[in-house]
Amino acid sequence: MADTDVDFTTGDAGASSTFPMQCSALRKNGFVVLKMRPCKIVEMSTSKTGKHGHAKVHMVGIDIFSGKKYEDICPSTHNMDVPNIKRQDYQVIGIADGYLSLLMDNGDVREDLKLPDSDLGKEIESKYEAGEEILISVLSAMGEEAAVAIKAMTK
Amino acid sequence: MMAAVGAGEVITQLESAAKVLMAPPSMVSNEQRQHAEHIFLSFRKSKSPFAVCKHILETSKVDYVLFQAATAIMEAVVREWILLEKSSIESLRTFLLTYVLQRPNLQKYVREQILLAVAVIVKRGSLDKSIDCKGIFHEVSQLISSGNPTVQTLACSILTALLSEFSSSSKTSNIGLSMEFHGSCKRLFQEEDLRQIFMLTVEVLQEFSRRDNMNAQMSSVFQRYLALANQVLSWNFLPPNLGRHYIAMFESSQNVMLKPTESWRETFLDSRVMELFFTVHRKIREDSDMAQDSLQCLAQLASMHGPVFPDESAQVNYLARLVEGLLGMINGIEIEDSEAVGISNIISNLITMFPRSNLTAIPSELFNSFVNCLTHLTCSFGRSAALEEVLDKDDMVYMEAYDKLLESWLTLVQDEKHFHKGFFIQHAVQVFNSYIQCHLAAPEGTRNLTANGMASHEEEEISELQEDDRELFSDQLASIGMLGRIAADHCIPLLTSLLEDRVTRLHGQLQRHQQHLLASPGSGSVDNKVLDDLYEDIHWLILVTGCLLADETQGETPLIPPEIMEYSIKHSTEVDINTTLQVLGSPGEKASSIPGCNRTDSAIRLLSSVLRTSEVESRATRANLTDLLSPQMGKDIVWFLKRWSKTYLLVDEKLYDQISIPFSAAFGADTEGAQWIVGYILEKVINNLSVWSSESDLANDTVELLVTLVERRERANVVIQCENWWNLAKQFANRTPPLHSLSSSVQRTLMKALVLGGFAHMDSETKQQYWTEVLQPLQQRFMNVINQENFQQICQEEEVKQEIIATLEALCGIAEATQIDNVVILFNFLMDFLNNCIGLMEIYKNTPETVNLIIEVFVEVAHKQICYLGESKSMKLYEACLTLLQVYSKNNLGRKRVDVSAEEDQYQDLLLIMELLTNLLSKEFIDFSDTDEVFRGQEPGQAADRSVSAADVVLYGVNIVLPLMSQDLLKFPSLCNQYYKLITFICEIFPEKIPQLPDDLFKSLMFSLELGMTSMSSEVSQLCLEALTPLAEQCAKAQETESPLFAATRHFLKLVFDMLVLQKHNTEMTVAAGEALYTLVCLHQAEYSELVESLLSSQQDPVIYQRLADAFNKLTASSSPPTLDRKQKMAFLKSLEEFVATVGGLLCVK
Repeated sequence: MADTDVDFTTGDAGASSTFPMQCSALRKNGFVVLKMRPCKIVEMSTSKTGKHGHAKVHMVGIDIFSGKKYEDICPSTHNMDVPNIKRQDYQVIGIADGYLSLLMDNGDVREDLKLPDSDLGKEIESKYEAGEEILISVLSAMGEEAAVAIKAMTK
Repeated sequence: MMAAVGAGEVITQLESAAKVLMAPPSMVSNEQRQHAEHIFLSFRKSKSPFAVCKHILETSKVDYVLFQAATAIMEAVVREWILLEKSSIESLRTFLLTYVLQRPNLQKYVREQILLAVAVIVKRGSLDKSIDCKGIFHEVSQLISSGNPTVQTLACSILTALLSEFSSSSKTSNIGLSMEFHGSCKRLFQEEDLRQIFMLTVEVLQEFSRRDNMNAQMSSVFQRYLALANQVLSWNFLPPNLGRHYIAMFESSQNVMLKPTESWRETFLDSRVMELFFTVHRKIREDSDMAQDSLQCLAQLASMHGPVFPDESAQVNYLARLVEGLLGMINGIEIEDSEAVGISNIISNLITMFPRSNLTAIPSELFNSFVNCLTHLTCSFGRSAALEEVLDKDDMVYMEAYDKLLESWLTLVQDEKHFHKGFFIQHAVQVFNSYIQCHLAAPEGTRNLTANGMASHEEEEISELQEDDRELFSDQLASIGMLGRIAADHCIPLLTSLLEDRVTRLHGQLQRHQQHLLASPGSGSVDNKVLDDLYEDIHWLILVTGCLLADETQGETPLIPPEIMEYSIKHSTEVDINTTLQVLGSPGEKASSIPGCNRTDSAIRLLSSVLRTSEVESRATRANLTDLLSPQMGKDIVWFLKRWSKTYLLVDEKLYDQISIPFSAAFGADTEGAQWIVGYILEKVINNLSVWSSESDLANDTVELLVTLVERRERANVVIQCENWWNLAKQFANRTPPLHSLSSSVQRTLMKALVLGGFAHMDSETKQQYWTEVLQPLQQRFMNVINQENFQQICQEEEVKQEIIATLEALCGIAEATQIDNVVILFNFLMDFLNNCIGLMEIYKNTPETVNLIIEVFVEVAHKQICYLGESKSMKLYEACLTLLQVYSKNNLGRKRVDVSAEEDQYQDLLLIMELLTNLLSKEFIDFSDTDEVFRGQEPGQAADRSVSAADVVLYGVNIVLPLMSQDLLKFPSLCNQYYKLITFICEIFPEKIPQLPDDLFKSLMFSLELGMTSMSSEVSQLCLEALTPLAEQCAKAQETESPLFAATRHFLKLVFDMLVLQKHNTEMTVAAGEALYTLVCLHQAEYSELVESLLSSQQDPVIYQRLADAFNKLTASSSPPTLDRKQKMAFLKSLEEFVATVGGLLCVK
């Protein structure tokens, strides 16, 4: 990144879904693409072959959407893909046919996000039906998105 | 219960209970098991069970029941001692002994338990003048003289049982008597009975050592007595006047040195005793089990010291005999593997325990032979240790023995002035040479060669957790470095020529690889064996060189070792300064190609050979050969440069009596040489950071070297004159590659170094320019990002997040660079950021890694700066922290933690918040701020209406933290320690705020304190005790007897009272507990009297009652009525110490 001409105004359009980073600069609790899936790094260690060998990085990651575990090992000089992760909070204003109606910041309503097929999904449903005003956090990466957390609205 | 039923019924009941207990778990229910256990428990508690027990022993066939009967007898004898007829005790003991004698086939655990009962009876009787238990030794000696091996073994078991019982260690049985009792028994025992046991043992050993052929049975008896002798020689002798310490003595240390009392003089100074153990060892040395015991006996004899020696000449005589015996034992034999550690223990004990004046007083012939032998053994063990490494043995006996001997060398030569000058040089040369030889590859060295000369070479996977050789072998290297200094005339030129040779070969090898690559690019991998061998050679040569030339110190300025200084001075007449500078200044050329190179200062030439290594490495990276290089060697080079720079670079002549001219000409202040080296190192650092960014350890070592260069003002002054430094600063500020791909810890340390450099001496214009280039861009970039209109929308974009994270990391680095003379500038700079960071907390509330990093910035600033801040500055920081906490609290309200990576990491934010609060509180303890601080004048009246106080911030924080800290979370050690540190600080600093806490918070705080006092580590327990004193004082001040805090302190009084008076506690805790007790006593005098009364009334023995009553009276005599007066409190603490010494042993029971 150069110190001039930084243009942050373009928003999502045209932004690539991943960017490269040297393996050694990754960190635990950060994100990385393993086996084409966006993962959170839960374990990271280095080793070398022989006392005068070069470092290799061993990573264990958990798919941020499916919860599946992936592993990889590579030379620490390699570049790995890091997913662009986005988190956004929306207010839930409706649930229909397994899809959520969410109020966006600009006042628009989006209705293309599925109600998660999990305990969280059930909680969203029951809270919504009980008339509570709730916010959900939506995580998106590499063209996928899913609700990952729920919070009562603070006024 | 037992009295009501007949003996036969008791046996039936016990036998069926035993069956239940012995049954496999699946066969019986839990209840059945508990019931059976209960039967045995109540059986053991029954009154006068002696007749029943005898009956059981004689008739029952169930081993477990026999075992329980023996236990019951043992417990009952102690319980009913005063009531029993002395004659019946005596007959009981005889019965038990005869019983065992007549039944050679008893199960071992039954026999041992019965003998234990005998030992306990003897011990209980030893303080009772009315009963004579000495008869036992007569009986035992008769058993020994029987000549029957079975009976002799039994005799040995009896003696062993007595020894364990009287030893007052963990082996002593729990018989519910006071520590004072145990101590008195032990003292009496060691003066007479112990010696009798030793004499009996010596007789047996003498008898056996005379025999030529022993069958297996006899040899096993022999082994038992040898082990017994070892136990006697390892006895932890209780000094005559011990005072309060003997409670602590119960946890006796592992390695006891032999320090017998005066009464043992005749026994141990009898030359036949020592001779016997040498003879014994010669006889059994091929049996590895027995040899361990016999060598351990000798090692104990070699550690003998104290009043047993009447005068110095006796000690010298003893030592001479010992050395003579040792040499006689070793000379002419081939040492067995199993002997190595034992022999090195003898030598190490001898060198550690006997004063140097003794060593020099023995015949010089003998001493010379001893040092020759030590030299020979050291070299030989070193070679065997190397073999062990090749074979990858699990049990590294030679390595252990080698470590011991090298350590002994260090002890020996550190007092060199006792020996005539140069005495150790030849020995040092030999040990040094053999070390080098073992660590170099063939043909010169023997590394990785097996005994038959075969080379072994395998590449194993090494994990990051494995320590680097420089730490793993730091003790060995320190000894070798020291020996190298002693023989500097030999060792320095040797290291130089070896290193120069390896570097030349490495250079050649790399060139061949390059030509090969140019000729056939992309061709398959080349054999790296030659390179790896060279790297490993260079690795060890640099480690040894580093340890030889300089010491490792923490904090203080390390001095040039006097041996090196002398060496350089001694040869300075043969040295040509210009040639020396030329050799130093041309690392790209071979040293030998420089005309007149033989007139170079040798220590400087050794340094320059490391620089040559470094140069070959740098050139290889420029030729794109990085893949072929060893990161390990890279680490070694920067490690060396750091160690060397700390000691030699810009050497401060004031610190030395005399200084070597070549040193001051080459690295002294204001010399071109120093400037050149600084420039060279800087270039190295910059090159490493770009080439080795993927090797995090190497990058870390590299930035640490950079910090070393700028942490002292004199060096920093030279550093900032280098253009490279400015380039580095600019590069980092612009976040241009490759610096931005360094790991976060490296980036932080780099920032720290850049900030430290800014405080070097510069004219104000340059300084202005420096800060403009280093700090300003950081601010600018940050403001550019966060002030964008659409920041809310783009904040989750990766580039934006990267930018934010890089800024936060840099802020941590800046805080780390804080020193007293730069805090004003750095604080003002950081403060602007802190306020903006709070805004980021809101924006990134869903991104825990960013939130944690933001809190970390606050933690670092508080940690490094609060102690220097004056009132108004502190206030600003408090305000910022309070706002941070408010935002944190708001965002965490009702938040549910669902995270894939549970465990400790998840509570990082909580840990950080506690750390922040603790750091803020630390101001109350450590405060360097000047009260007449300039800022005060600038902002008059500020102090009067403080908007926020530390108390507000911290208590607000505690309100957030307390409800979140569950007992589960306290299982994480880091959280637990931080939590208790925090609450103790709060109680100490703001006791007046505690009663104002909301009810449930107050309760959980009190509960936490009790929990910490009673069931956490001793460290936590001490913290909690420290918290009690201010709380009790607060109560006394407030005078509200109705408050919950008042009630709570009453409860704590009982807890602390029990802890101090009744429980075995850590003596380190006495002061904290004593202070707490005193304040609590002041507060609750009536309750305290009740506690004392009830304790006294439970004493049956009138003598003990009186002693206790007197002790309690004395305890409070100086402070009655107790008031919160400092003088009185100190008097109380003093009396308490005496109290614990006089009656602590009575009440503390084992």
